[in-house]
Amino acid sequence: MAFYFVKRLGLSALVVGTVLLVLFSLLHMIPGNPAILALGTRATPEAIAEYTARMRLDEPVWVQFVHFVSQALRGDLGADVFSNRPVTAVIGDRIGFSLALILTGMGWAVLLGVPLGCLAAVRPRSWVDRVTGILSVGTIAVPSFLVAIWSLLLFSLQLHWLPAIGAGEPGDLSDQLSHLILPAFAIGLGWVGYLARMVRASMLEVLGEPYIRSARAFGLPPRRIVGGYALRVAILPTITLIGMGFGGLISSAVFAEIIFARPGVGKMIFDAVSDRNFPLVQGGVLVATAFYILVVLVSDLVIAWLDPRVRSSL
Amino acid sequence: MDDTILDVSGLSLDFRTGRGRIRALRDVSFPVRRGRILGIVGESGSGKSTVLWSILGLLARNAEVTSGRIAFQGRDLLGLDDEALRAIRGEKISVVFQDPMTSQIPVLPYARQFSDILYRRSMSRAEKRDAAVELLRRVGIPDPEDRIDAYPHQFSGGMRQRAAIAMSMLTGPNLLLADEPTTALDVTMEAQMIDLMRDLRAAFDTTIVVVSHNLGLIAEMCDDVVVMYAGEVVETGEVRDIFHNARHPYTRALLECDPARVERTGGRLPVIPGDIPDLSASLTGCIFAARCPRAMPICRTETPPDVARGTGHARCHLLEGPGADPDWPPPAGVVAVGRTDPPPAAVRPKRSGEPLLEVRGLNVRFGTMGPIRARIRGVRDPFVDAVLDVDLSVAPGETLALVGESGSGKSTLGRAILNLLPVNRGSVSFDGQSVENRPERRFKPLRRDMAMMFQDPVGSLSPRKSVRALITEPLVIHGAGGRDLNAEAERLADMVRLPRNFLSRYPHELSGGQARRVGVARALSLNPRLIIADEPTAGLDVSVQGEILNLMADLQAEHGLGYLIITHNLPVVRHIADRIAIMYLGRMVEEGPAAEVFAAPAHPYTHALVSGVPYPDPDRRRPPSSAISGEVPSLLRRPPGCDFAPRCPFARPACREAKPPTVHLSPERRHACLFPLVPPERQN
Repeated sequence: MAFYFVKRLGLSALVVGTVLLVLFSLLHMIPGNPAILALGTRATPEAIAEYTARMRLDEPVWVQFVHFVSQALRGDLGADVFSNRPVTAVIGDRIGFSLALILTGMGWAVLLGVPLGCLAAVRPRSWVDRVTGILSVGTIAVPSFLVAIWSLLLFSLQLHWLPAIGAGEPGDLSDQLSHLILPAFAIGLGWVGYLARMVRASMLEVLGEPYIRSARAFGLPPRRIVGGYALRVAILPTITLIGMGFGGLISSAVFAEIIFARPGVGKMIFDAVSDRNFPLVQGGVLVATAFYILVVLVSDLVIAWLDPRVRSSL
Repeated sequence: MDDTILDVSGLSLDFRTGRGRIRALRDVSFPVRRGRILGIVGESGSGKSTVLWSILGLLARNAEVTSGRIAFQGRDLLGLDDEALRAIRGEKISVVFQDPMTSQIPVLPYARQFSDILYRRSMSRAEKRDAAVELLRRVGIPDPEDRIDAYPHQFSGGMRQRAAIAMSMLTGPNLLLADEPTTALDVTMEAQMIDLMRDLRAAFDTTIVVVSHNLGLIAEMCDDVVVMYAGEVVETGEVRDIFHNARHPYTRALLECDPARVERTGGRLPVIPGDIPDLSASLTGCIFAARCPRAMPICRTETPPDVARGTGHARCHLLEGPGADPDWPPPAGVVAVGRTDPPPAAVRPKRSGEPLLEVRGLNVRFGTMGPIRARIRGVRDPFVDAVLDVDLSVAPGETLALVGESGSGKSTLGRAILNLLPVNRGSVSFDGQSVENRPERRFKPLRRDMAMMFQDPVGSLSPRKSVRALITEPLVIHGAGGRDLNAEAERLADMVRLPRNFLSRYPHELSGGQARRVGVARALSLNPRLIIADEPTAGLDVSVQGEILNLMADLQAEHGLGYLIITHNLPVVRHIADRIAIMYLGRMVEEGPAAEVFAAPAHPYTHALVSGVPYPDPDRRRPPSSAISGEVPSLLRRPPGCDFAPRCPFARPACREAKPPTVHLSPERRHACLFPLVPPERQN
């Protein structure tokens, strides 16, 4: 187990390193002088020279990369080109909004999708199953940014139930929560259907397994068979799926943060790319990658925790 | 009828399917007497398991009981609602399932699985645990206090089935149903389970119903027998009556086909020609008439009478009415119904001296962990030896059977010979040239000459290809060279006696025997010289198994094929093998001419295997606790000295010290035992 954990952490570091390398190379392969791109064509030569020195643009690319990595390992991701604030501080201000959005989005999708999938599997071809099936396919097919725009139009502009933009007043929890509802709804909706379909499929398979038949033959009540036995096994592939799904949610969150003008990391990366604010882009992508890898690692550990066969093979 | 605990009467059941109603059970009646063991015996499709599921009320959704009663302790189970049935299941009626690998939930520890069964009892958690520990101890699980927290995958196959039996006995049920309880187990485990179930029956005063296709198990365990065929009970009676004085032609045929009961070896095995009838069509007359060699015109039109004779009933026109034959049934020992085709005219070519396949000192090892992990854990040798120093040879026209329990390395050896696994040490020569570890590009031409028959007849066929495509696939892979594939397909189908209209079918439309024929045709398509067959009769019914074995024997006689047959089925081996080689934990423990080895095994393990198979005759039951104890150890924990010493009833201190050398008893016969069972005068 300890060996497995160390191995996974090592592999994770390798993945993050590779992502950084690719990102770094891409930024430096963009034609033109990065200093001019960042500061604009009308920047003074002094400003360009100062920028070039500050960003170490006069050194070879690999030296820049090594420098960036060694700084990053010390917790220094460089500084915002314009405000000169440390990138870590800028991300620190915003990451909470993104995490809240992503976790809420996946959270409500899991809480609704998994029971719906179970229900559909227990009564295949019933109305619950059919309705879930149709709605699932429908919601999976609609891109999350469309859901975001439509829900914004309907619930904020037409019905005035919920606030349209921003993340709420700092310190006012209920205001922040009400600002969270629409974006979380938008990015999670497709996942409700997706999870329901997945859980239904693996549940149907598990319900046909001989050990479920054994449980029934020993007279266990149906509720316990479905919740205590079948779901314990059927949820395993879904957990992997949820872990991987966070990758998709990170990109959905970018759209949602732009549409709802939430000050999250996604919106930050978007703005930084538009402004050629490279340190911020690098820092943001690094954090997003690390977050995703962490989630996948956690999902694997959760599976190991739930499945003794996996645990003993680690 | 106070001693009848369960009375099934007039049970008829249909399955609604897309192809119409399948009349799976028709008028099934039999009583189960308290305190006895009843065996329901039949081949696949006989409906024996369906009977078991209808007793539990756990039929598939598309099943519909059309008539009948299942009276348990005076109540009709078919009339009970779900709640009332659940109160009976697990408490009064319990089950042991076929495959302990799949019938226990892998993600919950045994402690939880046991206590869940006791959910109706108002016992504390600790009391439930104690009850479970007690039962685990009773079924022979060592250290039950600790082992109860284990998960199923941490138990070996035999221990898992012991745990399954413990689970079923936990509530002290009145009736225990056992669905093929030993089919998934090895010979030595099977013998142990039979002893355990007999022992528990006496201790708990439980009535047992065993469903099985295994006549040996039925003869060994049961007091009463119900014989089913195609959804009908054809005969009932006490076990001696059924095995010595069977009245229904089907029962007789079944007994005559069992290779364990055919004394004469080397000849052709009796078979029941034909297939089980299509139960979705309308059925008139006797259900067995189409395959019965004694069928009369009346059999096809009139339902046979249910005749009470001796200790039971039989449904046959030969017993009563206009078709009655006073000479029926003939005395035991006369082959009355099982048909033995005449052997082909071609005389079996004497095997020549030049071996086709020769394996010398073969070793196959598997890595158990990666190099980094091994370094960290301080494991110097992170490998297990799956095959150790094996020598064998197969001559043209010869059949060598490789016998051993699961974990003996026999399948690994087969794969290594076919270059599907890398060889660690030793050599494999085919036709005089060394072929081990060749790159696939250079091995491919040899695959024309060495064909494989895989274990799972249906699973080894691609479900998306027609039979025609499947049997010509090897030709396509090896470049058919403009041959007419349709003609080839027809030639091969004729060769394996598969009707030509089957060529356009798909694997799921085939029965086990037909799928096996396709497997044989595939193996033969390139005119190989050597066939390696992994469990060629696994999953086949007794009546069909003979056909496949006869077919293989005919093809061998015709083409001089060499066979290497990998199996654990000893009665079959006795019939088809010229020589047998016994493996245990990757080593060859004995090898020799089949007849000699069966008559006088030299190695105690061979002896355990040969005497461990339950014999299909209730008068030849083994004495209780004659079963060899323990299980095949893990390769990771290979015992010091002789591999078999920890389980060997004859082991002496010397056995635990050094690996016994291979000793030749005669040029053809060798063994690896320090104290062989063969009398000393026979040793040279």
